[in-house]
Amino acid sequence: MIRLPRFVRPGRVAAVAMAAAAGVVTLTLAGCDGGSIANSSDPGNSGNSFVGASYSSKFFQVGSRPLAPAVTGTLLTGQSFSLRAQRGHVVVLNFWGSWCAPCRQEAPILGTLATDLRGKGVRFFGDNVLDSPDSAEAFERTFNIGYPSINDQGEQVALAFHDTVPPSAIPSTLVIDRAGRIAALVVGAVSFNGLKALIDSVLTGKS
Amino acid sequence: MTAGVADVAGKGMTRPGKAKFGPVAWLRWIWRQLTSMRTALVLLFLLALASIPGSVLPQEGIDPAAVAQYYTAHPALAPVLAKLSGFDVFGAPWFAAIYILLFTSLAGCVLPRAYRLAKSSRQPPPKAPRHLGRLPQSTDFPAAGPADEALAAATRMLRARRFRLRTGDGWVSAEKGYLHEVGNLLFHLALLGLLASIALGGLFGYKANKLLVAGEGFANTPTALDVFHPGRLVTASDLQPFSITMTKFTASYITSGSQRGQPANFNASLSYTAQPGGPVGHYDLQVNHPLNVDGVQVFLIGHGYAPTFKVTDGTGRVVLDQPVPFIPVEEAGLSSDGVIKVPDAKPQALGFSGEFLPTAYETITGSVGSEFPAANLPRVVLVGYEGNLQLNNGQPQSVYSLNTSQMRRIDYPIKMLAPGQSIVLPHGLGKLTFTGYRQWASLAITYDPGQLPALFSALAALAGLILSFLVRRRRIFVRVSENGNGTVVQLGGLTRSDAAGGFEVEFAELTGEFKRRLGSAAGSSAPAKSAVDETSKDGADEVALAQSKGE
Repeated sequence: MIRLPRFVRPGRVAAVAMAAAAGVVTLTLAGCDGGSIANSSDPGNSGNSFVGASYSSKFFQVGSRPLAPAVTGTLLTGQSFSLRAQRGHVVVLNFWGSWCAPCRQEAPILGTLATDLRGKGVRFFGDNVLDSPDSAEAFERTFNIGYPSINDQGEQVALAFHDTVPPSAIPSTLVIDRAGRIAALVVGAVSFNGLKALIDSVLTGKS
Repeated sequence: MTAGVADVAGKGMTRPGKAKFGPVAWLRWIWRQLTSMRTALVLLFLLALASIPGSVLPQEGIDPAAVAQYYTAHPALAPVLAKLSGFDVFGAPWFAAIYILLFTSLAGCVLPRAYRLAKSSRQPPPKAPRHLGRLPQSTDFPAAGPADEALAAATRMLRARRFRLRTGDGWVSAEKGYLHEVGNLLFHLALLGLLASIALGGLFGYKANKLLVAGEGFANTPTALDVFHPGRLVTASDLQPFSITMTKFTASYITSGSQRGQPANFNASLSYTAQPGGPVGHYDLQVNHPLNVDGVQVFLIGHGYAPTFKVTDGTGRVVLDQPVPFIPVEEAGLSSDGVIKVPDAKPQALGFSGEFLPTAYETITGSVGSEFPAANLPRVVLVGYEGNLQLNNGQPQSVYSLNTSQMRRIDYPIKMLAPGQSIVLPHGLGKLTFTGYRQWASLAITYDPGQLPALFSALAALAGLILSFLVRRRRIFVRVSENGNGTVVQLGGLTRSDAAGGFEVEFAELTGEFKRRLGSAAGSSAPAKSAVDETSKDGADEVALAQSKGE
């Protein structure tokens, strides 16, 4: 019953990889086995990889991208949120919690990219799970996060992606293209270059 | 398994002749070896043997924290064991190899056997042997009427006893007890079914744990679950999309007598939806009364307290205001340990570790404890730390342990806090208030599509076993001939499987009835003999003859 940080087990990465259908480029990285608690002292491959210390990532080519579900929620600020209203923007949706160590590791990267790419029409949103609003807001102050987060204590946003590309661990990051279709899922902490490359390829894609 | 299988499988055990040992012969030989009874038993034993490390070593799937501890305790050995799948024995390739070989072995043995039985069950019994006296059970006696009448009467009798019959010139063969073979087969097929059911669960099932604080809810999605063990072919999309909120948790305890402090009742009031936007159901979850949502069972397996805290940091902002689950460390008073991490407090990250005491007491020597599991006098005792929680380096850590290696103890007098009381931290580090408590329930979520098939397979295996032990397959042969003195009826009996014994008795009864109905000496009954020995048989014949003459 002990709540441990949620990470994909190596077996799950394999299962995810198997599930990748034709048209889906699956990048299961050499550092994937860092997923288990026992092996988590492995820093993963920190070199020039597409994504950094993440456990797996999926990229969907234009034409094979599943339509993102209608996601609505309330932001930590109290305002309401609708994913559909973001059509026309590339949306980066990051699932996080203030207690989660890899989330804290990737937070500065997300914060910087959100600012850098705003001018290119990229909108970052967080989905705060298993947390309390006070802790979440303190986290945002620490890492100087400028983008809003959904207060999702019942995991209803993660559940909304059940039929498409559900996030399988915390952190997970979804990239949704301008047409509202899911272009990528990164499970585990993102790297600066990796996530930027992902977003760039979505930005330069046809949609 | 019974000897019958060994016999069938055993036929294939001889190696092909050395002269013609080509690739096909090799393959045939390997297949026969694999499907032999001996191999199946060896594999079954190996499977049991291979399970041992699974119970000796901590398993990733059961207790990841224990695996992590094992890594710390045995830094040299652990990676080697991990390479050998020592921490995931039941998911190991070598375990799967044994399992699949056993499955193949059983299937290769049972399926052809089922086919043969199905064929043989439609065949009539064999012809009666010429010399019935050589059978394990035999007797003969003179009959009253002509031979054909005696034979017809014998046939009627055997038919009345529901034997399967085959008749010929002066003889009738009868066979009964096909259910023995059916039972035997049922047992083996059920064993296959059991293995298949377990495989089904292992591939498509999953297990998860969730600690849920009263008033909170969660969705059945991997990110929400504390521990998640999916089957080999389970993806996040396969999880049934239910949501559960625990509105209330009540625990009652026996308050007096020798059983004082023992739990009397636990009840978790749940509201749930089977899918987003679906109708809301309500369920009172109790121990051993799982909630069933969409084929998934949700069990109540544990409970505890989550004291609630509010932490204000040095800048005056609230940086934490929530229940923090503490883990019970003893049953009698439910004293519970826990940690509070405040990574975003300024100027310094804070950490507290301590104890929640539901019904607190303090001795004159100053030691504290809890004397009753209900929260009659809730208190917390906390030790505070400031510094680096080491959460920002990305290494996952348990929310139930505090790594103080890069932290300093905050100097304040340690005492029990009552709800509403605070610790004002020195050096402008902030303030912690113990605001109250909630209860939490630990839920086990299991989905095992193989569970029902496994139950039915086990019941079928049991039924098959009982059937094959209780029913014996036996043949009765009757030959009727006429010699100079009149009609002689010869009876022979043979059983192929008599695990429970008693065929001799049945044969004797049958013989008795035959003699009463057909015998020239109606009413007399000679004891049936079971000897194969010629001399004793002759002797018995004389006795039978003498008796008939005496009449």
